[in-house]
Order: sequence, then structure tokens, then C-alpha cells
Amino acid sequence: MISSFGYLILALAFLLALYGLVILIYGLIQKIPAFIESARLALVLIFPLVTAGMAVMVFLLLNDRFDVAYVYSVSSREMPAYLKLTALWGGQEGSLLFWSWLLSGFSLVFASRKFREERDLFPWAMLVSFVLLIFFLGLNVFLATPFERFWHFSDGGRLLSVFQPQNVWLLTPRDGQGLNPLLRHPGMIWHPPALYLGFVGFVIPFGLAIATLVTKRRDGRWIELSRPWILTAWVFLSLGLVLGMRWAYDVLGWGGYWGWDPVEIAALMPWLSATALIHTALLQRKGNGYQRWNLSLIILTFSLVIFGTFITRSGVLSSVHTFAGSDIGPAMFIIMGIVSIGGLGLLIYRWRDFGSIQEIEFGFSRDVLTLFSNLVFLSILMVCFLGVIYPIFSDLLTGTQVTVGPAWYERITGPLFLLLLLLMGLCPLAAWGLTQINKLRHRLIILIPASLLVPLLSWLLGNVKSIYTLVALWWAGMASFVILWEYIRAVQRALKGSSNYILRALWQPLKRNRRRYGGLLVHFGVVLMSLGIIGLEGLQQETQVRLKRGESASIGAYQYTFEGVERFADTETATTQAVLTILDQGQPEGALYPSREVYANLGMAVTIPGVKSDLSLDHYAILVDWQPDLPDEATFRIFVNPLVNWLWIGSGVLTLGTIVAVLPKPRKINIK
Amino acid sequence: MTDEKKKGLSSNQLKFIISGGLFLIAVVILIISATRGTAEFFMTIEELKLSEKDLQDQNLRVSGAVLGESIYFEPETGLLHFTIAHIPADEDLIKEEGELSKVLHQAVSNPDNPRISVVYEGAMPDMLRNESQAILTGQLNSEGVFVAEELLLKCPSKYEEALPDQAE
Repeated sequence: MISSFGYLILALAFLLALYGLVILIYGLIQKIPAFIESARLALVLIFPLVTAGMAVMVFLLLNDRFDVAYVYSVSSREMPAYLKLTALWGGQEGSLLFWSWLLSGFSLVFASRKFREERDLFPWAMLVSFVLLIFFLGLNVFLATPFERFWHFSDGGRLLSVFQPQNVWLLTPRDGQGLNPLLRHPGMIWHPPALYLGFVGFVIPFGLAIATLVTKRRDGRWIELSRPWILTAWVFLSLGLVLGMRWAYDVLGWGGYWGWDPVEIAALMPWLSATALIHTALLQRKGNGYQRWNLSLIILTFSLVIFGTFITRSGVLSSVHTFAGSDIGPAMFIIMGIVSIGGLGLLIYRWRDFGSIQEIEFGFSRDVLTLFSNLVFLSILMVCFLGVIYPIFSDLLTGTQVTVGPAWYERITGPLFLLLLLLMGLCPLAAWGLTQINKLRHRLIILIPASLLVPLLSWLLGNVKSIYTLVALWWAGMASFVILWEYIRAVQRALKGSSNYILRALWQPLKRNRRRYGGLLVHFGVVLMSLGIIGLEGLQQETQVRLKRGESASIGAYQYTFEGVERFADTETATTQAVLTILDQGQPEGALYPSREVYANLGMAVTIPGVKSDLSLDHYAILVDWQPDLPDEATFRIFVNPLVNWLWIGSGVLTLGTIVAVLPKPRKINIK
Repeated sequence: MTDEKKKGLSSNQLKFIISGGLFLIAVVILIISATRGTAEFFMTIEELKLSEKDLQDQNLRVSGAVLGESIYFEPETGLLHFTIAHIPADEDLIKEEGELSKVLHQAVSNPDNPRISVVYEGAMPDMLRNESQAILTGQLNSEGVFVAEELLLKCPSKYEEALPDQAE
């Protein structure tokens, strides 16, 4: 009964969105403010309705209501309560409901604000929200409803329906199928909501951009209004990507973090265009130029968001992520067309109204470097897109499907990412407008040799041979030196000024100029992350060995000894755990516990790597093979992964930097 | 990006266009060289069997249904052996023949279906089991065995499975 109630609430929200759109359009045509206000109230009301619908779903999940098909498919009795809760986005219908909820929530935050200067923009941005809400709520109500229940006829035939049809009885399975054990990892549990927050966060900037195009407002107000939304969406998207990497590293057990799977790429693409947008938005704020460029980038970003959702949810590409046999493919295709063709069409229609008035002189300046970084970001994006459509294209042209794999992406994007590292080092040196290289000379004399120490030391001490890796280390070193230098100079200035306390002076730059130093902190986070990536791509060492108890294998100065296997079981799983002790140049360094868990009632096994991690490197071992009849022998794959931890630490720094950059300036309060 | 194009390009704009153009040419060269070096031909097992000799040392990508009994891990060498059976490449064709799980089941049960042996060095993936779909990249060796460098597995979605049994 309660599930039908949930369904009816969602249907009501859908009708309200329809009402809002109609009355808004009518109000805009007839210029009646009361109608626009009515639409605003409708938008405000949709959120509590969708929240109620979602609360019903959560209630069903927590109470093991397996007569509901969605609950049956993603949950099971023995799952802990928090997993039951997060099963909300564990399957297709639930995650679409979650999408709608986020969308209505963001629309509410937007619609409940006071708009004085933006009375003209606001209704059009609302219009975009309504169209998207109608679409996603429509999916929840008609095509992918999470509230369908199982029914059976007297002859044993079965069907799925929200309401009770005639002559059928409710079918209540004893237990659900449960969440795939591979997905029961914190990284994978928080990866989808972080990505969705990132995806949906671009709705408001997109709506404001459309409003700007419709109203021909040229003062760049949309970009100022969108800034916190874009940055917030961007940081969630970044975190979503990193959580996915962490999951792959901890669970998939191939010693990697990123597999260039089409679905991963689909999430990376909007991140790339949004990153490009964040950089050129700076240029627009400096001189109100690049209006067309930024409008194009936000339309591109949001189209890619919908494309990403389409790819993950429609099953057009064969990938580990896709849900087979999906019905929502065509519907997603339609909304993708509306967003991208509609946005692009409007942009072309208004092209002449947003001509640029800003001219940048070519040379060594922050403006030119920013533009160049844009070119690099968009090149990587282009490569990603090319890789995804290559199989389809080659099939059409030659009749044979040619696909490209991780090696292809790595070879092309490797140098491009390296270039971004260099740009991050150069950019803070250059000023807005042209910089005389002469003025930089005294800084370069110190910076270049100092940064060269990084690859030199890694060559001498770490025995790093690859030129590629050495260059990457050099540029990462240079970027971090430059960023630290900038920060120290700002702290010095603060010390000379009013502030006499070191601690206060350390905080001063971040407080005074949030945008600049928040941005630098984000860059610093990215440089730290790059260290982890350089470690995995360039410095990883691995070996696969068969060991008897007491035997050992070595990688470099490390020796791994197989001490034996332990077996234990609980209600759900039977675990085989091997013990490998580590010696570092003869000194004990702890142990690794790679294991294999068998979920008997699911017929699934999960291989869990044994990891011992510190700031310099990770020891990482996988139990490849072990048989009960030969209990004192096992095959292992052992990796030494240098610097990996910096990938996760860097993402924390990046988040912190974004928070600093987004937080509004504190208002001065005089206490007297 | 300005409306001055009609008046001809200024030398400043020319510098931007030339440097940007050079950069893009470099990217295109990178793409072409990477495509030559690493692109893989996607084939069905049937196609692979037909032109086995011409395909040696070529980067290939095949997809097939895993035969459960054939899975064997060789402890001495650390090599994983298994056999996969032909399935149609086209997603539409799969839809026509029914859901993926049915296609995989038919592929495995029909002994006349072309099959190919696979060898892979590495851990036994958790999803490698009877009637899962394997997507492999690698090369054919001189004995006609597929040497896989990468192994991606897909299990038919649980949404396709039959409805549950009634509770007691």
C-alpha cells in the first residue's frame, strides 16, 4: 500500500512540474508576474513531494519489503542498515529517483533566493529546471518506476505492477538478491551520489546561461551567479571520479585505478569541459570578454552530463557498468537532443549579440597561458570522445570494428596531462597582461635548478630511468615550488602588514584573497594527485610468483615471505586469507593479508588485495590462486606502488581549496 | 573570436592561430601514431576462425561466452586457461535472439558453435564463471590460442533473471 502512496506522490510532483511549465510560459508570453510567481511556488513545492517519495523508498528498503521489485533486486535481509539505505542508488530506478530528488533540491535552493538584479534571467532558468524535472520525474513515473511490486496469477503466471490488477495476488519473496559484494566498498557506495551531485549541479549554471542567451544580457552576471554552483558541482564531480579510482584500486585488484572504460570516460568528459570553463570564466571576469566561449562551454558541459547519464543508463556501450536491457535509452536520447541541439541552436541564433570586446596580446601572460590550458583540456576531451565513438565510426567506414584500449588513451593523453602540469608551474609566475621575462629572471634562476633537484634525486636515489617519468617529476616539482613560493610571499606580506602572529599570517592570504589562494590550493592538490599517478604509471613494480610456506619473493629491497593461510567463515562468507610478511632491507615492515571471500548463496567470490600503505609507497598483494588440497602453496601477484597515497591526499587538498574559493567573503563585524 | 575577421587578421590573431594550429597538429600526429600502434580489431570468434592465419600478431578484441568446465589455473606457470564460444557481435542481433543470458547459454550449450582457447597471465577474475561474457584483448599465437592481455567480464544483469519464488 505504502509503495502505491510513494508512486502517487511522484505522479503529483510530475503533474506539478507540468503545471509550472505551462503557467510559466503563459506568464512569460502574457507578461503576468503573478503567473511567474505561481510557477516559482510550484518549483518550491516539488522538492518536498519528491523528498516524500524518496522517504517512502527508504522506508521500503529499511523494512525489507521484498514484494517491491526494486527492493528485491538491490537489498537483502543480512545487509547492514547503512547498506540498505545506500541501496537507494544501487540500481537503475532508484538512482533515477535520486537524480530527480537532487534536481528538485537544487531548483528549490535556486527558486527560494531573492532575485533583485536578475528578475529577467530568473524565469528562463526556471523554465530549464521545469523541462528537466518533467523529463526525470516522467521517467520515475512511466518508464522506470521504483515502486512496482510482484504479483502472481492463480495459474502461477507473474507480472509487475504498481497497483493491484484484478485476479492476482501479491508475491512476497523471502529475501532479496542483495547488493553485489564487489560494490560493498565505501568508495563505490559514495561514488554514485558524488557523481550525481556533480552532474546535477550544472543544471543551474546551464539554466542561467540559457536565460542569458534568451534575454541578451551582456554584463556577464550569469557567470558571477553561476560561479559557486560550477565550483561545487566540479568538486563533487572530482570527488566522484577519485572515489571510483579508490574503489578500483582497493577492490578490482589489478594494481591500477583507472581503466579507460567508456563509462569512466563519460564521467571524465564533463569534468574536462567544466575545468576549462572555470579557467576561462576568470578571463571573462577580468574583461567581460569570452562570452560566446563560456556560453559554449557550459552548454557543452551540460550536454556531456546528459550524455554521461545516457551512456551509464542506456546500455548503448558494452561496459562493466551498463544495465542490460534498459527501456530508457530512447527517452534519454531525446532529452540529450533537446539539451544539446536546443542549447547550441540558441547560441548560434544569438551569436552576434555576444561578440567579444576583449583582445589579448600574444606573449607570456596569464591570459595566454589560461587560453592555452583551455586548448589542452579540450584536446583531451576530444581524444576521449574520439575513443568512445571510434568503434562505431570504423564500423561504418571500413566494415570492421576497430576499438581502442587503455594503451591508446595513455599514449595520447599522457603528454597532454604532462603539459598541464607544466602550465600549472608557469601560470602563477606570469601576471595578467604581458610579463617581461626579464623581471622573472631572478626567480627562474632559483626555481629551475631547485625543481631539477627532484628528478635528479629520484634518478640517483630511486633509480628512476624513464625520461618520461623524470620530466613528469621535474614539472610536478616545479609546480609545487612555484605555488609554495607564491604562498610564502603572501604570508611575508601579511607579516609586514598588520598581522604580527605567524599563525594568523599563514591564514591571512586564504582569507583576504579567497579566489586566488583557494585556486592555488586546488592546483597544489592536483600536483599532489599527479605524484600518485606518476607513481603508479611510471614507478610501479610487480611480480607474480608461486610460493611454498616459508619461501619468499623479492622486489627491489623488499622481501615478501609466505607464512601460511588462515580460513574463517561467518553467516554470509567464507574467507581464505594468506599472510605475507615484509622485510625492508632485512628489517621487518609488517605484513600483508591478501584474501578471497566466497559468498556461497550469491555464487560469487571477491578477491581482496592486501595493502600496506604509507606516504612513500604501498605494498599491494593479491592472492591469485590457492587450493585446499595444497594448503601450503599459493600464487601471488605482488606490487610495489610508490607515492599512491598522494593521489588520495591530493584530492582532499583539492576539496579544501575549492571550499576556500567558494565560501563567501566574511562580512566585517565591528565589535566595540 | 572577434568580429574583425572581415577586416583581415591582425598579426596578433595570426600568432594565436599559428601556435594553436601547431599544437593541434601535434595532437593529431599523436592520435595517428597511437592508433597505428595500439588499435584493436573487434572480431567475433567465427570471423577469427575463418582468417586465423592472417591475424597473427595483430591486436585483436574478441567477445565470447565462457565455458565453465574449461576454466583451469596452472599453478606452475601462473597461467589461466579457458575456452570461449562464439556469440553474435551485434547488440541488436543479441536482442533479436533474446536477452544476453539466453544468448550466452545457447552459445555454451551448442557444440557446433566455433570455440577458441584463451590463455591469460594473472589472477582469476571474480566474475569468470560459466556463461559469463568475456571481452578480451590480445593476440593469436601460432597455435591458434588467444593470448589475452586484458580480460573484461560481464555477467548477465540480474534484472533479466526470472522472478523470485513465492515465500512460504
